[in-house]
Amino acid sequence: MNAARDLPKVVAGLAIVALALLPTAGLPAFYDSFVYLVFFWVSLSTSWALLSGFAGYFSLGHAAFFGVGMYTTATLTTKAGVPFLLTIPAAAALSALLGVGVGAVVFRLRRLRGELFALLTLAVTFVIGTIILNTPIDGGGGVFMSAVPLPHLMPTPTGTIYILGFAICVLTLVTAWWVAHSRLGMGLFAIHDDEDVAEAKGVPTFRYKLLAFALSAGIAGAVGGIHAMYVGFLTVAGTFELTVPLYVVLMSVLGGSRHWLGPAVGATAITTLLYAFISGGEAMIGRAIVGLILIVAILWLPDGVIPAIQHWAKKRRPQPAKAQAEVVPVVPATVRPIGERHILEVRAVTKRFGGLQALAGVDLDVREGEIFGLVGPNGSGKTTLINVISGHYPLSSGTVAVDGVSIGSLAAHEIARRGVARTYQIPRPFANMSVLDNVALAATFGGPVRAQREIRDEARHWIGFTGLGSKEEALPAELNLHERKFLELARALAAKPKLLLLDEVLSGLNPAEIDNAIRLVRAIRGQGATIVFVEHLMRAVVELSDRIAVLNEGKLFALGAPRDVMRDPRVVSIYLGKAYAA
Amino acid sequence: MPSATLLGQALISGVLAGGMYGLLALGLSLSWGLLRLVNLSHFALAFLAAYLTYELGTTYHVAPWWSAAMVVPAMFLIGLAQHWLFDRFKVNELASLLITFSFAVILEVAIQLYWTADYRRFETPYSTLSIKAGPFYIPVLELTLCLVAGVLAWGTWQWLRKTYVGKALRASAEDADIAAAYGVDYRKLAYLISGMGAAYAGIAGTFIALIATLAPAQIWTWLGVVFAVVIIGRLGNPLGALAAGMLVGASESIAMAVLSPAWAPVVSFSMLIAILLWDPEWL
Amino acid sequence: MLLEARNLHIGYGDAPAVWDVSLDVGAAEIVSVIGPNGAGKTTLINAIAGLLRCRQGELRFDGVDMTCVRAHDYCSHGIALVPEGRRLFVKMSVEENLELGCYLPAARAGRDQSLERVYGLFPILRDKRGQLAGELSGGQQQMVAIGRALMARPRIVLFDEPSLGLAPTVVDDMFEIIARVREEGAAVLLVEQNVLKALGIADRAYVLEQGRIVSAGLPDELLKQPHIREAYLGV
Repeated sequence: MNAARDLPKVVAGLAIVALALLPTAGLPAFYDSFVYLVFFWVSLSTSWALLSGFAGYFSLGHAAFFGVGMYTTATLTTKAGVPFLLTIPAAAALSALLGVGVGAVVFRLRRLRGELFALLTLAVTFVIGTIILNTPIDGGGGVFMSAVPLPHLMPTPTGTIYILGFAICVLTLVTAWWVAHSRLGMGLFAIHDDEDVAEAKGVPTFRYKLLAFALSAGIAGAVGGIHAMYVGFLTVAGTFELTVPLYVVLMSVLGGSRHWLGPAVGATAITTLLYAFISGGEAMIGRAIVGLILIVAILWLPDGVIPAIQHWAKKRRPQPAKAQAEVVPVVPATVRPIGERHILEVRAVTKRFGGLQALAGVDLDVREGEIFGLVGPNGSGKTTLINVISGHYPLSSGTVAVDGVSIGSLAAHEIARRGVARTYQIPRPFANMSVLDNVALAATFGGPVRAQREIRDEARHWIGFTGLGSKEEALPAELNLHERKFLELARALAAKPKLLLLDEVLSGLNPAEIDNAIRLVRAIRGQGATIVFVEHLMRAVVELSDRIAVLNEGKLFALGAPRDVMRDPRVVSIYLGKAYAA
Repeated sequence: MPSATLLGQALISGVLAGGMYGLLALGLSLSWGLLRLVNLSHFALAFLAAYLTYELGTTYHVAPWWSAAMVVPAMFLIGLAQHWLFDRFKVNELASLLITFSFAVILEVAIQLYWTADYRRFETPYSTLSIKAGPFYIPVLELTLCLVAGVLAWGTWQWLRKTYVGKALRASAEDADIAAAYGVDYRKLAYLISGMGAAYAGIAGTFIALIATLAPAQIWTWLGVVFAVVIIGRLGNPLGALAAGMLVGASESIAMAVLSPAWAPVVSFSMLIAILLWDPEWL
Repeated sequence: MLLEARNLHIGYGDAPAVWDVSLDVGAAEIVSVIGPNGAGKTTLINAIAGLLRCRQGELRFDGVDMTCVRAHDYCSHGIALVPEGRRLFVKMSVEENLELGCYLPAARAGRDQSLERVYGLFPILRDKRGQLAGELSGGQQQMVAIGRALMARPRIVLFDEPSLGLAPTVVDDMFEIIARVREEGAAVLLVEQNVLKALGIADRAYVLEQGRIVSAGLPDELLKQPHIREAYLGV
């Protein structure tokens, strides 16, 4: 029985039981009310963070879902006589539906991120509020809930509302904890750091965002339904305004919006502060202090309180000195013969960007086990071809087939699942995840569904293979360029790809690092992958490739053994000019 | 369906109300468009200026144009100070939104502590003046506001178009590094824009004091609409801000006359949603 | 020597791109730095233009140590840049782009005169002066970029891959113009992938490969050496 680990759990368990029984203690309603409000804000801010904190899609529209929930309950109870408890799931469902509706439209638009998403969600809030105001749902007179019968779950009505709020709070926290530790959460965190790369690593970004939004909205709806009873009298102006959206942002940012418990910490702190001031008659001062705290937090603790504490704790812990093992990749002595099977078949691929024809009809085949070099002058279309094959850009026409399966029309994450992995010239690791988590994510989404333990072992294998073994807990920012490039490779390999696309993996490395990288590429081929790499460092390309393709002006210009191709006068002329070749 | 006169009057009132939207949107559009910082405290500053104008007018009997001569430069300095904070901490767009929101809250509290939450009305001889043009009434104050807004918008636009500083700002907004390579000191210019934005808020505040009834909570009522106006008018475009303001004002007013007053908010936000969905590059 | 660079080490973040590079440009010279893609040419020229800081090394312009000079003060010393890909202000007109070139007070005084000279060099720009820069063709945009640099009345004009993205005939015209820049009284430092064009107009040249100078000298001599071939073709 590990005291350090189990003690917090025991304390938490006791706290939960104590909290649940609080209304029976006969304290003045003031306390029940206060604790209920804490539950209220914890639920709202935690649910907000599911999409906005985890995935980084900053929404200012939480009031819309909350308000829809409130009015669903109000309408169903007062106008349709539905029992109060039954309206809660209905409120959740309706809000979730709204979330899915908005998300389905908005998440399809690639450019609509950042502040625009925030403003759109804010706009949706005001539109819905106005609609409710002008229809019989509210009609301008507000809705009175006093006549609605409340189930007798606790000795007092306040107690009943309290226990419902408590239940939702626990449910929300459990949901947040579960999401944070699930595949969904892993995908959301990756989307937060770099959505394009997440998609390329196999994360179904659209589906995950929609799911997170639906969960977030649904919980807010349920909270709203319960809150309708608490306030007793609903008005549109009091519901569909800025307080809820801005406070949930404050609370999450203060506590740490990426951590499942962060919003709860922030919500508790701020609610307590506000309540202390309100009860003291100084509500205004309380608000000003909250504002001041937020400014201080953003300037000095930009990630929030919990991450700051974690960071501080990590620094205090003595770091075990790990041996700086200079791992030299093992290159198999005998080179596996190149297979006959075509891993990659590119036929008549074109790609236009507006008026620019980047690819003008490329045909090539890459055989199993080859190291295939792709070169060409600037603007010849090399990187565009890689981007088209990996699905970063859709192709304009033509076909691309990987191991016989046509992938031209698939989304990037589906192409990743079919065995294509790529690295980026400027490494794009997930900045807020450790080396191990980065690789584990690729293994999770690039391969079959397995237990996390198995995935992490596999990730460790690839980390060791690329020589990063001693750095598995490090954040990418703590690595140098060479190490980050190898992290890119480890991440690509963790998906066990059939086809590995390398985009200028050698750029920026010094000669010793280049030799190491070349050895690694050979070792990777030794594992059975087929490699297509774009590179400018010609000496390395010539040394490493089995065959080289030269692209020029968007078309295949020459193809063959390295030395033959690079000595071909036609190729020489496109690099150095006709006179030189003569 | 209301009568033609009623609609005409609604149109006029709407355009004039839109002038206020435009004036508020002007400063916000400049700072958001040219500095990539979202300034939610813009409205609080406008109200601070309004309350100061009210105070100077009622307690010290200072005429509005004289109080403006004091308040507007004071606002400019506040804008400079705010930007110093952003510069020092290298604040990004999201953080600027949250920090300025906090400023706004703090300002609101300060206003409420000094002036209480009671409604305040700055009565002047011109409050009820209006010009009669045919069957229509044109309130003088609102008309003046629109004229001032128009002059300010046009002047700012000319300044951005014709002067070296204006061109430098537009160039920096596109490619700050290359502008710097040709001598543009972006950091200094950023302070200027921040100060100007606050000064414009001050001017808007003077008119708010003259036209509207003041209450601290009002700081938030215009937030949504003005943001919609800023986006519809395109960031960094002074004439666009004013035109969008008047367009939104007129649309709201007509909607209010044809449907009911409560439908007004739908107009601006639906326009915003429609524009953003149709062309996410609109900004 | 107008420009003296000694042992420059330049990088992005922790990614080193240029190692121990030294070069000179005289007051009336045209100097070319050639090298294949990824050699570090843009990094080098951006550092000389002040867009990047050098980690180590010395950069002197007309005797002044440039390492302490801030980015927006480089232009006032007489350094003008024609960046890779032109980097015009596409939402502004041709004439406004040119006017940004003489933003600094010293050059501003001669605005009208300078504009006349630029329109004299590039007559087609006079016709298009009111058009948005983003609507022009690649070659015309390059003219605007060069014109912008000339408006600053520079002592040296830095060209970053002027032939990039241009059709071959346009490239020929471009290099003729670059040669004429010297007649306008400025030295030229030019980095280029296109070997023959760059060596054709240069008085002296350097070969950059993987961030290092591997060869330097007169253009004719360089053409006879194997360095260029190895750098570009790997064989």
